[in-house]
Amino acid sequence: MEQLKTIGRELAMSSQGGFGQSKEFLDLIKSIGETRSKAEEDRIVLREIDTLKARLSSPNTPKFKLKEYLMRLIYVEMLGHDASFGYIHAVKMTHDESLSLKRTGYLAVTLFLNEDHDLIILIVNTIQKDLKSDNYLVVCAALNAVCRLINEETIPAVLPQVVELLGHQKEAVRKKAVMALHRFYQRSPGSVSHLISNFRKRLCDNDPGVMAASLCPLFDLIVIDVNSYKDLTVSFVNILKQVAERRLPKSYDYHQMPAPFIQIKLLKILSLLGNGDKKSSEQMYTILGDIIRKCDSDSNIGNAVLYECICCVSSIHPNPKLLESAADTISKFLKSDSHNLKYLGIDALGRLIRISPEIAEQHQLAVIDCLEDPDDTLKRKTFDLLYKMTKSSNVEVIVDRMIDYMISINDHHYKTEIASRCVELAEQFAPSNQWFIQTMNKVFEHAGDLVNPKVAHNLMRLIAEGFGEDDDTADSQLRSSAVESYLRIIGEPKLPSNFLQVICWVLGEYGTADGKYSASYITGKLCDATEAHSTDDTVKAYAVTALMKIYSFEIAAGRKVDMLPECQSLIEELLASSSTDLQQRAYELQAVICLDARAVENIMPMDANCEDIEIDKNLSFLDAYVQESLEKGAQPYIPEDVRSGLSNISNFRSQDHESSTHALRFEAYELPKPSVPSKVPSVLSSSAELVPITQPSYVAEVHQPASSALTVSSSGSSELKLRLEGVQKKWGRPAFSSTTPSPSSSDTFGSNNGTTQHESISSTKSKVHNVSYDSRKQQTEVSSEKKKLAASLFGGASKSDRKQSYSGQKVSKTNSHASDKSIIAEATSSSDTAAVRPTSQPPPDLLDLGEQTVTSSAPSVDPFKQLEGLLNLTQDTTNLSSSGVSMPDAPDLMSIYADMSSSSQSTTVAPPPNVTKAHLAKQPSKGSNVQEFLEKDALVRQVGVTPSGQNPNLFKDLLD
Amino acid sequence: MGIRFILMVNKQGQTRLAQYYEYLTLEERRALEGEIVRKCLARTEQQCSFVEHRNYKIVYRRYASLFFLVGVDNEENELAILEFIHLLVETMDRHFGNVCELDVMFHLEKAHFMLEEMVMNGCIVETSKANILSPIQLMDKAS
Repeated sequence: MEQLKTIGRELAMSSQGGFGQSKEFLDLIKSIGETRSKAEEDRIVLREIDTLKARLSSPNTPKFKLKEYLMRLIYVEMLGHDASFGYIHAVKMTHDESLSLKRTGYLAVTLFLNEDHDLIILIVNTIQKDLKSDNYLVVCAALNAVCRLINEETIPAVLPQVVELLGHQKEAVRKKAVMALHRFYQRSPGSVSHLISNFRKRLCDNDPGVMAASLCPLFDLIVIDVNSYKDLTVSFVNILKQVAERRLPKSYDYHQMPAPFIQIKLLKILSLLGNGDKKSSEQMYTILGDIIRKCDSDSNIGNAVLYECICCVSSIHPNPKLLESAADTISKFLKSDSHNLKYLGIDALGRLIRISPEIAEQHQLAVIDCLEDPDDTLKRKTFDLLYKMTKSSNVEVIVDRMIDYMISINDHHYKTEIASRCVELAEQFAPSNQWFIQTMNKVFEHAGDLVNPKVAHNLMRLIAEGFGEDDDTADSQLRSSAVESYLRIIGEPKLPSNFLQVICWVLGEYGTADGKYSASYITGKLCDATEAHSTDDTVKAYAVTALMKIYSFEIAAGRKVDMLPECQSLIEELLASSSTDLQQRAYELQAVICLDARAVENIMPMDANCEDIEIDKNLSFLDAYVQESLEKGAQPYIPEDVRSGLSNISNFRSQDHESSTHALRFEAYELPKPSVPSKVPSVLSSSAELVPITQPSYVAEVHQPASSALTVSSSGSSELKLRLEGVQKKWGRPAFSSTTPSPSSSDTFGSNNGTTQHESISSTKSKVHNVSYDSRKQQTEVSSEKKKLAASLFGGASKSDRKQSYSGQKVSKTNSHASDKSIIAEATSSSDTAAVRPTSQPPPDLLDLGEQTVTSSAPSVDPFKQLEGLLNLTQDTTNLSSSGVSMPDAPDLMSIYADMSSSSQSTTVAPPPNVTKAHLAKQPSKGSNVQEFLEKDALVRQVGVTPSGQNPNLFKDLLD
Repeated sequence: MGIRFILMVNKQGQTRLAQYYEYLTLEERRALEGEIVRKCLARTEQQCSFVEHRNYKIVYRRYASLFFLVGVDNEENELAILEFIHLLVETMDRHFGNVCELDVMFHLEKAHFMLEEMVMNGCIVETSKANILSPIQLMDKAS
């Protein structure tokens, strides 16, 4: 049947002939259309290239033929072959008088050339000429070309004409002129900054097409600078109203919707204008409500507009009524059979929960269904949603899910993304350090090469600092479990380099600490690992340093060091290594193991990685030497930036130290410093990226001959991390070097007494860090995404969200507070404060479970009370109580509280004092039915599932 | 930027029309087309009409033997793009009458001209079929 149709059409085509198409062209198209394999297609195209080369080079080709050849050239390129031999003919054809040839010429040129192609210069003249043409179709063709081919340099050549055309009598020309100007703005905003007002003018154009076109540049402008366009809010609302009331020509209708594409663009603009602006938002409420009400939810286009409305509603200042209808629409989407609508529903849900978190609860089952769906697109969208919903109480389930999915996919782009999300969530919400380490291990094992090296560094620091509290047993337990897991993992044949570095470091530091494993066992494992990854110098370096630490600890403990033969051979191999860094380390190791116990103890103190190292930033101990030299007639030192006049270069470095230090760190004036034991408090070190090892050893190496034991000790005692800090201090941000100057640097070695003050500071610091593993990062690098994330979560973090959204309100406007209050109350009570206010929403299933277990063992205990203790590990209890107390009668007070709590959160997330206890209580509770049930059930509930008979397997899956 | 590219590909994976709104080299285009066509052809009718690929989101729709694929960035309304594809098809249908793959093949330039009217700088600028087709009809008359 289809074939018949094709044949008929072909007959019609060939008989028509009026299109100026030759038999040859028809045959070509037919043969391309009939190919069954790519190879066959390639053969045809290659033959065609030969034909075209011959035809185009003959001088007497008639013009109408040329047009056809150009189309054939377009085919050649479209099918993936180079047609550059014919580009010049396309350029020539743009000169042609005939409109149809000219337009085909322009089309070919825009398809073939990018804006930086050499041939463009030959076209600019033609474009200039055509922009002045009397035939408006010629002008339009030229404007099309302007949008594709004019680059920054050639803008001035056509700009005056384009501006003139903004007032052309033909609407089609005005429209295209607006878009040409838009293009110039995209390419080089500076070149048209004085013409921006033209877009506003064209918004009021009589022709709806021109008006619609002007929305594109205005959208871009508003994205960059909302405040300059607030005055247009009324205009946009009016336009939207007119569009919705069908005032536009019928031809803009699409499936009975009045100009839906224009509506969508307007809604996008309104959502920008109304974001965080109550006054502007209020102007939109009526029209948004009207559109949502009128929209036909049976057609795709109607749903597209509805979806855009939800996006707008969730972006502007919240309005309860609109939020309600948005929520209704979302449930319609989620209940639909169409995957497309489900997809939009999940996306819209992710937007709306930022404002009304309680809505997620209604759709738990739908969300889980989407998560289970075999459709990857839907699954990923759902992960996006979960990512937005994550809080400390559900992070375990969500991250475990994400990791499972991450392991199952091959797509590198998405794997990287989801791995970094796992890391981000884990760093932010980890309920326990143990869990954090296990999670990181999994991420590293499966996507180690894709995550940021910083992550590895954070992990090492966490293991080193532990809980940060003075709970040594917990810390050593944590370390022991880390060591144990790494000893298990290290045998795996293929591990990412990042991960191996962490493993080596941890084994070096803590491998023998708990006495469970002998030094020879650990060293043997390390040697095996280096052998298995013999091409990776960085790993080798980590391994050698780890060996050195283990041997030092052995010597310090008074045990005899028996070096395994494989270690011996490894060190011998490294002594002759072509990498100076590895050589250096091997020599150091040899030197260290020959020393006596006391010396070793001093240079390699046990577990000293968290200690603070003071830095004599001014190198004051060199003052005498400098003075002496000056007296002898040496020239005073002039900083390099002054010398070269590049004073801004250091700024550049410090701003961009992640990338630039690598390139710049071998510069000459670094040399004088290394004999200073350059150490910074290790708290600061965490923000330093994991820097390649070659560099510090270079520093140490240069000075080795000059100094004896001191240098060895300095390079030996400082673990990789510490030595880097000196560098970090030199190159990094100014803030890093703000340590109190120490009178002498040598006595900081291994002596805890000298640094007690510092230590206490750091320990309080790290106590405070506990949950936010990286407070520095939080303070300085909190990305907007994280803020958004925090705002979208149900938990304590939603306070900051509230603060944001209400900050625009005046204190006196208690009314609006009162109106929103119910939402807030519901939100908080239904999500994380459920435990605090147990009566607000008693989930029946939970009660059922509770009864069941209560009868079995602990009848007197209120399950919710238990939950509170078990699950609200990291929630800021003060937050909760404050919101609970202040909400009913003092809305203003609440906003103040929100202020306080959010600010305190942004700097330090202080865990409630019972964190450790609660966590420890968790372990023994494994056996107890009550707690286990409750815990699991609550976990499930918090992640967004309510148990029901509908889908029993679901829970099994989630909980196991 | 919105729309990054528009492709028409038949079910054998052969490109029938390609329009890019950002510059990609010939090799990049070839690779991209191969990858996304493979991805989209492997999907079932029930699954979403949207696929993520690298940093693009692909919105696709199938008409008989021909797939329409539109690559957009993250800010686009996917469902609206899906309907935009249909608008394009309706417009071609109005011009060609019962449009099919061969119409696009024989009149590739016309299909491009329509797109030139509808999309500029990666933005949807014209959605009125009359406005889209009038320059093309005028040109036909003139020649």
